[in-house]
Amino acid sequence: MNKFKEIYNYREFLKTSIRKEFRGKYKKSFLGVLWSFLNPLFQLLVYALVFPFILRNDIDNYTVFLIVALMPWTFFNMTVIQSAASVVTNGGIIKKVYFPREILPISTATSNLLNFLITGIIVIVALLVSGVGIGPSIVVLPIIVIMQYILLLGLSFIFSSITVYVRDVEYLLNVFMMLMFYMSPIVYSADMIPAKFLPIFKLNPMFHIIKYYRDILYYQQIPNMASVMLLFLACLLILVVGYLIFNRLEKRFAEEL
Amino acid sequence: MKDVAIEIKNMSKSFNIYADKANTLKERIIRLGKGKKEVHHVLNNINLTIKKGETVALIGVNGSGKSTLLKLITKIIYPNKGSIKVRGKTSSLLELGAGFHPDFSGRENIYFNASIFGLTKKEIYKRLDDIIAFSELGEYIDAPIRTYSSGMYMRLAFSVAINVDADTILIDEILAVGDQHFQEKCMNKMKELKEQGKTMVFVSHSKDAVEFLCDRAVWLHEGSIRMDGKTKEVLKEYTKVCG
Repeated sequence: MNKFKEIYNYREFLKTSIRKEFRGKYKKSFLGVLWSFLNPLFQLLVYALVFPFILRNDIDNYTVFLIVALMPWTFFNMTVIQSAASVVTNGGIIKKVYFPREILPISTATSNLLNFLITGIIVIVALLVSGVGIGPSIVVLPIIVIMQYILLLGLSFIFSSITVYVRDVEYLLNVFMMLMFYMSPIVYSADMIPAKFLPIFKLNPMFHIIKYYRDILYYQQIPNMASVMLLFLACLLILVVGYLIFNRLEKRFAEEL
Repeated sequence: MKDVAIEIKNMSKSFNIYADKANTLKERIIRLGKGKKEVHHVLNNINLTIKKGETVALIGVNGSGKSTLLKLITKIIYPNKGSIKVRGKTSSLLELGAGFHPDFSGRENIYFNASIFGLTKKEIYKRLDDIIAFSELGEYIDAPIRTYSSGMYMRLAFSVAINVDADTILIDEILAVGDQHFQEKCMNKMKELKEQGKTMVFVSHSKDAVEFLCDRAVWLHEGSIRMDGKTKEVLKEYTKVCG
C-alpha cells in the first residue's frame, strides 16, 4: 500500500516521464509527433497492398479488417519492445537518485497507451469512410482497451526488470514478437486457423484481445462477456505477478546497471 | 524516538565483484558453475543514529565506504544485513543533474529534475523563481542545456537540488561546483538550511567545509566507524593518522 502512496507522491515525475517518452522520441525529427500517426499508417499501407492483391484473399473491406487489429497490435508490440529497455536506458538516473523505480515501466506503458488512443482516430475515420460504420457494440471497447493496458503493465514490469540482469531479453523479444504477430489473428481471420492448432493459439492472450477488437469494431458484435471477464482476470494476475517480480529484482538495479 | 532522522542498525553491505561480468545469456551459460565472483565487504556492522536537525560529516580516505553509506541511506542500494530507517523526506545531492535532457531548456529541465525529487507541479512552480535566481543563469534559462558550459550546468543542477524542501539532505562531495563565488554561495545556503533545522549528512574531503558546517563528524575507516564525536576532535585525530 505504501508503494501506491509513494508513486502518487511522485506523480509529477510520472507525468514528466510520460511526456518525455511521448515527445522526446520525436523531438529532433522534422515532423515531430506526427510520426506516431505516420508510422502505423505506412505499415497499414504495406499490409493493405500485400495481402489483398498479392496473396489474394476475399475478405470484405480488408483495410478495415486489418486496421482494427493492427493498431492494437502496434500498441502491444511497441510497449513490450520499449519496456525491455526502459530500466536499462535510465541506468544513469537509477544510480544517481532514488525514486520509485516502478515509474519507468508504468510510463512506457502509459505513453504507448496515449499513442494508441491517438491512432484510434485513424481507426474511427477508416470505419466511417469505408461504410462499415460504428455499431452499439463499441460500448464494450473501453473494457478491452483497459484489459490490454493492464496486460501490458504486467509485461512491462517483467521485461523491464529481467533485462537488467539478462540483456539478451531485449533482442530475444524482437524475434519473439515477430512470431507473436503471426500467432495473432491480425492479417488473417481467427477462423482460418486449423482446428487442431487452435488450442496452441489460444494460449496467447493477444489472440483473444485482437479477436475482441475485431468482433467489436469490424463485425460489430458484442463478444462473450464471460470469457472477456475471465481474460480480464488473467491479465490482472499477470500484472500482480509482474509487479512481484519487479519488486524483487529492483533492489539490485543500481548495482547491476 | 520521534526526534531521530536516520537510524542504522547492525548494517552490512557487500558487493559481488566479477572479474568480468556476465551480462548476456551466452556468457552466463559458459560460466555456469565457475564461481568466479569475489565478495567485497564495503561496510561492516554499522550502527549510527542521527537526530533531527543534526549536521553530520562523514570523513575518511577514498574507499572507506562513505559514498556507499549515503547511497544506502537514500535507498539507491539496499543493505545485505541489518536495517536502515529514514524518517521524513530526503533529498540527495549525490550526483547533480539527474534526469537532465540536453535538448530541453533549462527551465524545462528544472521541472524534470525537481520532479525526480518527488515534487508536485505546484511545489515546483512555487520554487521556480528561487531556483532560477539562485542559478544566476539569467536569460540562458530558456536555452537548451546542451549549449551550457559545464559550470552553468552544475549551477543549475545544484540550484534545483538545494531548493527541494526536504527534511534530510545528503550531500556527496559536490562543492567543487562553479567558481569561488558560487561555492561560497552554496556553503552559505547550506548553513542557512542547517539553521532552519534540516538534518544533513555531508561527505567531504575539505576540512574547512566540514568545520564550517558540521557539529558532529563520523570517521569511516575500512568499512567501520573508527570514531564518532565532535567535529574538532574527530578531525584532530583524523589529521594525525591520515595527514
